[in-house]
Amino acid sequence: MNRSWIILVVVYILSFSFLVHRYTQLPLIVEDSGKLLPTSIKQIRSATDERSLQEWIQAAAKQGEKISVAGMQHSQGGHTYYPGGIMIDMKSYDKILAYHPEEKMIRVQSGITWEKIQQHINPDGLAIRVMQSQNIFTVGGSLSVNVHGRDIRYGSLLDSVESFRLLQADGSIIEVSRTQHPELFNLVIGGYGLFGIILDVTLKLTDDELYQMYTHKIDYKDYASYFKEKVRANPAIRMHIARISVAPESFLKEMYVTNYLLYEDQSLREKYQPLKKETIIALPKFLLGLSRYSDWGKQILWDTQLAYFQSKNGDLITRNNVMRSESQFMEYENTNRTEVLQEYFVPVDEFASYIDDLRKLLKREDLNLLNITIRYVEEDEQAVLSYAKEDMFALVLLINQGRSAKEVEKTQKVLRQMIDVTLDHRGSYYLPYYPYPTKEQLHRAYPRAKEFFEKKTPL
Amino acid sequence: MNYQRFVASQSFVMTAGSIVFPFYLLFIRNIGDSYSQFGLAYGLFALTAALSHVWIGKLTDRYGDRMMLLVHAWGMAGLMLLIPISTEIWQIYFIQIVMGLLGAVQKTTEKTTISRFTEPATAGKTIGYYHFWTSIWPAIAIIATGYLIDFLTIGSLFYLASLLYMVAALKLTSTLNRN
Repeated sequence: MNRSWIILVVVYILSFSFLVHRYTQLPLIVEDSGKLLPTSIKQIRSATDERSLQEWIQAAAKQGEKISVAGMQHSQGGHTYYPGGIMIDMKSYDKILAYHPEEKMIRVQSGITWEKIQQHINPDGLAIRVMQSQNIFTVGGSLSVNVHGRDIRYGSLLDSVESFRLLQADGSIIEVSRTQHPELFNLVIGGYGLFGIILDVTLKLTDDELYQMYTHKIDYKDYASYFKEKVRANPAIRMHIARISVAPESFLKEMYVTNYLLYEDQSLREKYQPLKKETIIALPKFLLGLSRYSDWGKQILWDTQLAYFQSKNGDLITRNNVMRSESQFMEYENTNRTEVLQEYFVPVDEFASYIDDLRKLLKREDLNLLNITIRYVEEDEQAVLSYAKEDMFALVLLINQGRSAKEVEKTQKVLRQMIDVTLDHRGSYYLPYYPYPTKEQLHRAYPRAKEFFEKKTPL
Repeated sequence: MNYQRFVASQSFVMTAGSIVFPFYLLFIRNIGDSYSQFGLAYGLFALTAALSHVWIGKLTDRYGDRMMLLVHAWGMAGLMLLIPISTEIWQIYFIQIVMGLLGAVQKTTEKTTISRFTEPATAGKTIGYYHFWTSIWPAIAIIATGYLIDFLTIGSLFYLASLLYMVAALKLTSTLNRN
């Protein structure tokens, strides 16, 4: 009896070794914010410095390993990881390398978020030129998908990039700009991380400004001409966003627009300078929750949103504060369902007829649409994979769907039809989302896609 | 088993439990799909413990405190090894049921041991010291874990706890504790 402890210890040591070994063999599954593509990858490596990144890439090239680059992983099509590959997590590669407020320039490591940059430049009265509505994304990721946002005066993100340094697949680091390796400048921006790892970026900044917000209702039929005559033609309007109803009573008819006008008295700007934090989360989260599961919920959300924004009419807000939209209330935790985005671009003049066709389609088909926001993008074909073939409206759709294969197929059927309608109106769709479109649709939307892939292959 | 070895053993037990408890909750949360599954997993533990208490009490009287404490310590040592490789919710339910049983063993036997070692007149003082020794080490361990967690994986925390449970068991093994 007294010697039984020896047996127990031996059994324990054997079990320990065996089970620890099992533990180290567990597959590493990752997924992005779309939650539709859980994938087994080989390893995650957190980027710390340039030297080690270079060594990893050189080693990977020798051993034929696949590398993917990840920022905040808000792209939803598995862009940030590859089966059996090594995912390089750039989130901790986020230092500010150089900052020249007098010249309105900043040089940052690609893993930095817009939020961190805003915190740094806001006290000097500087702001970002072009970025998404929310500031939670990394600069490297934003460049890789060539983002756009509420700004309507500074063109595309590409225009605000002075240069960047790229770590290529063979381990070499090069400086890329409009004069040095210019062909890569237009491939990497909007290139989804396929041409190397963006190490650091030199960005042009702009002055922070004080705006006055105005929101009012508008009918979708009037939106295009309203935008051209009243918004774009008025240089005092610096930022703009619109929303179209997904509530049953006003489905794809009623809209409201929010304009950010340059306020006449800029001396008040400092008073409004402090960067805001997301404070009201519970109510929007609750209303969004209601709208997920019922039509009357959608109606309540639409009415409440409109009332809320109208109540803020005349409010003053700085540019930096506009560029830090709330996102926490949208967090959605559900095992069986997920919330994905789709974004479709349509030429400004096609807007009304496009909406009519979409409405007809969606009255037939079943899609749980929660929200549609509309932003403006100026024509910009600099990036090889560019979406703004003309001046376009960008519609961002928030869709609630199931995660099972059956549900994905169901959603795919509807979305492919929507994309066809979009393409028929000379439109396009945005690439960072779940790959619902067919290959034909890809090539129709991106005529230079073939050229893009051809440039990629020799690397 | 003498009183000192009992207190030492239970100190290791409490330390191991305190280190992993918060991370175990996070672990269940990550495997489980929803808050209701999480609640069920947690509830299974409590329910199993509740339903087994009477039976375990009787076993303690029959087999003695030391044997039951050994079962608990070795049992937990083994269970800790299984947690890091659990990936499905049913595995968690199983672990929770076993932990409920073992938890009931520890809870009962801790009390019976103290009561069998204690004089009624000084019961409060004895228990006071017992709680002190079995709380101070966990407190230090929790703080230390907070600092070390950046360097350790969650898995390694469970392996550490497993080793501590094994030491707790060996503390109760008389041939190893001749002093």
